[in-house]
Amino acid sequence: MSKVGIKSYSYCLNHAPETGSHYGGTPWEAFHSGKEQEYLDALPNHLQSYDHALHYAPNQTYIGGISYEEFEAIPAPWVDKPLPDDKSKRYGKFGELMPEDEFLGLISACDEFELVWLEKSFAEEVSKKLADDPVITEAIVKRVVRPKNMHELSEIETEYKERAGLPLYCGGKVVGCIRSGHPTDPCLTAHVLMENLAGKASGVLALLHLLKNSGMNPLDLDFVIECSEEGAGDVGQRAGGNFAKAIAEVAGCTNASGCDVRGFCAGPVNAMINAAAQVASGARRNIAVVAGGSIPKLYMNSRDHVKKGLLALEDCVGSFAVLLVPDDGTMPVMRLDVLGKHTVGAGGAPQAVTSALTFEPLQAAGLTFTDVDRFAPELQNHEITEPAGAGNVPLANIKMIAALAVMKKAIEKPAMMDFIKKHGTIGYAHTQGHIPAGVPFIGPACELINEGKIKRAMIIGKGSLFLARLTNLADGASFLIEKPEPVAPTSAVSKDDIKALILEALGEVAGKLA
Amino acid sequence: MGKLAGKKLLLLGERDGVPGPAMEACLKDSGAEIIFSATECFV
Repeated sequence: MSKVGIKSYSYCLNHAPETGSHYGGTPWEAFHSGKEQEYLDALPNHLQSYDHALHYAPNQTYIGGISYEEFEAIPAPWVDKPLPDDKSKRYGKFGELMPEDEFLGLISACDEFELVWLEKSFAEEVSKKLADDPVITEAIVKRVVRPKNMHELSEIETEYKERAGLPLYCGGKVVGCIRSGHPTDPCLTAHVLMENLAGKASGVLALLHLLKNSGMNPLDLDFVIECSEEGAGDVGQRAGGNFAKAIAEVAGCTNASGCDVRGFCAGPVNAMINAAAQVASGARRNIAVVAGGSIPKLYMNSRDHVKKGLLALEDCVGSFAVLLVPDDGTMPVMRLDVLGKHTVGAGGAPQAVTSALTFEPLQAAGLTFTDVDRFAPELQNHEITEPAGAGNVPLANIKMIAALAVMKKAIEKPAMMDFIKKHGTIGYAHTQGHIPAGVPFIGPACELINEGKIKRAMIIGKGSLFLARLTNLADGASFLIEKPEPVAPTSAVSKDDIKALILEALGEVAGKLA
Repeated sequence: MGKLAGKKLLLLGERDGVPGPAMEACLKDSGAEIIFSATECFV
């Protein structure tokens, strides 16, 4: 079997402006450098309200509040074009945009080691709000108000002021803290644990929405592969893992196991390939590929947003989940025989990378560039990246694909702009590293395939391996999603059939001997 | 050898643009000295 079915998908955002403006990588670094007080003082004036985030077209596209085609029809800039109220709901077709207070409650619910303390009245209030969320289970709601996780504000203050904890903020005030996990271990500081618990909690939310969207009983989930960029471990094994199993546990998937796949932003596409191969081989009945989001990525480019008087839009922790099952001919499929692989020897030149991820697998499958209706390479929202000087990443990538298509004579040079418009995708994902890496388009691609509007899409992820200082290499991977084809019924031959065949053959032989 | 001969170069690449090692390869025979080369990621 070289295809697997994409049964369902979910996409969620957790609004986290106050957490991000304190603990996002850029503000955190600025605070500790002691040299950027002007930026730190200004940042709170550039934060986006939850209501504004709800009305922001890219966010609604991500959670499925509006379709990709609706989004494509809205020209950028989107920040000054709020969507109407009826298209700006908390819940979309794919997932939800959860407000920050409930996110802190969910983080607390995901804590197994009394690392999160919430102020008692705050915890009680958010537990009631979380109870109204259609995917949050009763067990999770109860975990928010466990006595060991609720404390008086005075105790919380002592914890973060005297014992290396970090305060948690909401509504402009301290509502809790993350505690240090160890007196000396640098992998278990409050800051690291906050990142990991936020990644876990956002992954749980995506998995819960996936179960709802697929109609799957949590007990039927066989395996989880988690593919974020966080590292959970201790000083002896600083990224030992395992987020997948921790997420499955909170989501009530007691019959599942799981493991983590890493590769910077190429992690999700590699995880999809890994999961699809296991399902296709029959090693697993089904697999949920899941990723939570990143606190350090919040407000990564906000220095420039502040400097230019813009809203700092990098305020959501993103997450996603995709459920892969055997292909039964009824749902969009992921092909395993057409995979893009950026080899060690391919080099880092843009042309070589693009060729390895698009041209080479297509050529091997007897396809060409125009056979792919949509290419989805790196889907960062350019309204966030352009003011920071990082350009329009999805556009840069599709331009390179179009240029390669010209070189390979798949299209004529004058047709390049048409190709870019027709076959490209516009970015709408938060700059959450692995989250925008092609995978946000799995859901819209499947929807468009199911509606008969496209036949084929290519998902492309690229990872900045060089950031880890192990190699100068980058990585990349890609795969195709296609419309389903009828699956031929497998002809099972029973013992009785074989007996009947043997008897028939023996009868014929006996007849000839007579 | 071109007009970069004898110059010192700082190369700042970007993952989705032109990465540092690709620029190094292009400038290998330019006669310039590459004193720093890095690739960054802003997304």
